[in-house]
Amino acid sequence: MSLMYRIQHPRDALVWEGEIPLFSRYTMGIAGERFFREIMENGRLMGTRCPECDLIYVPPRLYCEQCFAHLDEWVEVPSTGQVHTYTIVHADLDGNPLEEPRILAFIHIDGTDGGLVHYLGEVDPDQVCIGMCVEAVFKDKAERKGGILDIAYFRPVG
Amino acid sequence: MIREVAIVGVGWSPFRSITPDLSYKEMMYEAAVRAYEDAGIDPRRDVDSFVTVAEDFNEGTSIFDEYVPDQLGALHRPVQTITGDGIHGIAAAVMQILTGQFDVVVVEAHSKASNVLTLPHILAYAMDPVFNRPLAAHPYFIAGMEMRRYLAETGTPLEACAQVVVKNRANALRNPLAGYGADLTIDDVLASEPIAEPLTRLACADHADGAVVMVLASGETARALTDRPIWVRGIGWANDTFWLESRPWGQARYAYLAGQMAYSTAGIKSPRTEIDFAEIDDTFAYKELQHLEALGLCKPGEAGAWTLEGGTELEGEFPVNPSGGSLGEGHLLDCTGLARVLEVVLQLRGEAGPRQIEDAEVGLAFAWRGVPTTSGAAVILSN
Ligand SMILES: [Zn+2]
Repeated sequence: MSLMYRIQHPRDALVWEGEIPLFSRYTMGIAGERFFREIMENGRLMGTRCPECDLIYVPPRLYCEQCFAHLDEWVEVPSTGQVHTYTIVHADLDGNPLEEPRILAFIHIDGTDGGLVHYLGEVDPDQVCIGMCVEAVFKDKAERKGGILDIAYFRPVG
Repeated sequence: MIREVAIVGVGWSPFRSITPDLSYKEMMYEAAVRAYEDAGIDPRRDVDSFVTVAEDFNEGTSIFDEYVPDQLGALHRPVQTITGDGIHGIAAAVMQILTGQFDVVVVEAHSKASNVLTLPHILAYAMDPVFNRPLAAHPYFIAGMEMRRYLAETGTPLEACAQVVVKNRANALRNPLAGYGADLTIDDVLASEPIAEPLTRLACADHADGAVVMVLASGETARALTDRPIWVRGIGWANDTFWLESRPWGQARYAYLAGQMAYSTAGIKSPRTEIDFAEIDDTFAYKELQHLEALGLCKPGEAGAWTLEGGTELEGEFPVNPSGGSLGEGHLLDCTGLARVLEVVLQLRGEAGPRQIEDAEVGLAFAWRGVPTTSGAAVILSN
């Protein structure tokens, strides 16, 4: 026994249109809080260091993913880095074409073992390359709200 | 493994871009009836336990596991739903049989992607809410960035990625189950619209609806049920870091780790010579190349040249994705890995029709759970 009769016409195939109203809070936590407060108040990036593995985490974390040590050594890190990889995104979140394609990159922050994913600005897509030196452009202090968008984008250095 | 486990029955609801007439529960039912017929069992009498693989947001419901029992014949029985890929479901079923508590376990996964109206939003919602989600970018940006780094590190040409699409969609023309068979050229793929450069539209698998059900049994039961059991020789699964900011970007460490675990449980030392063919995740064309290298089926950086030379074609020395893969069959969300396993089973049974690989004895299926995840799972089967 399986499907003995099937619907023959699309007009007979009824559907229920569903939607999930989804609103939630996500706590930044001890490490996230400190990272974003430093950006908001002092316009600088911080990381945490694992002395055991000699790794500096950006974004900072309270625990080392390699050795599971608790990390409490905070270090200021530069707001400069190199483009580790990048892409030019042509679609928005609904899959529609963007009017202006945007450049997203993973920026390996200098002197650390991590980095940030962010937009690149003040540069043409054609000019971007792996290894390009870039720096964070922070929003004006009055506009900072405590989040990753307090960095407007990264731009080429010099 | 401490106890023999075999796949003794497979069933499916065919893979198509839309399925307007059937609910996902009915697609599961269609696949289940076929699998039970194939195994020669009655689920109400013969199945000890059921495993489904699903993700609530893809179903348009919450607490999906409560939706399961009736359409699989699982009422009043042990049922579990796990999140992951279908091959994680196979792993769960294998482990249940290895306990000795269960002899026959059913695995199910499905996709009703055509009913998911906001899939990029769902994928974006899986990214870190603090560091990544506020960027509000189409989640395929992760694949675009990874592809660029992989190409740069290995020197692989774009044409090799495009050739994966040409090969897999051509294979799908010989697969009546596949929804996306096509006769394409490398130029077609390269010239298709950019999504997240260097990723183009045709280098991304479009989605399909479909369902797959598999019946697994312990060795003794398997031999009693069928004269063509397909044996599970090894299985493995692994993840890389959650953080985009700690990923290597160029290589697929999750695939390396899952492969090593599967090889070690199967006692395989030289995968390229001991395995005859593979079904390998190709959600994005470059992923097939990256996964081939991570799984040790060729040397790092050689998958592109190997593909361009035809080594992984249906008639090549090591066919990869004879089914057409996700590029040719359509991407089946949580069911993607079971589609890979299904093809391995059909090939090892000699039931693959016009795409049958001669003398296929050992096959590998490898699945990746898609962006933004680093979940990989591998299974090795033999006849
Ligand atoms: Zn450490």
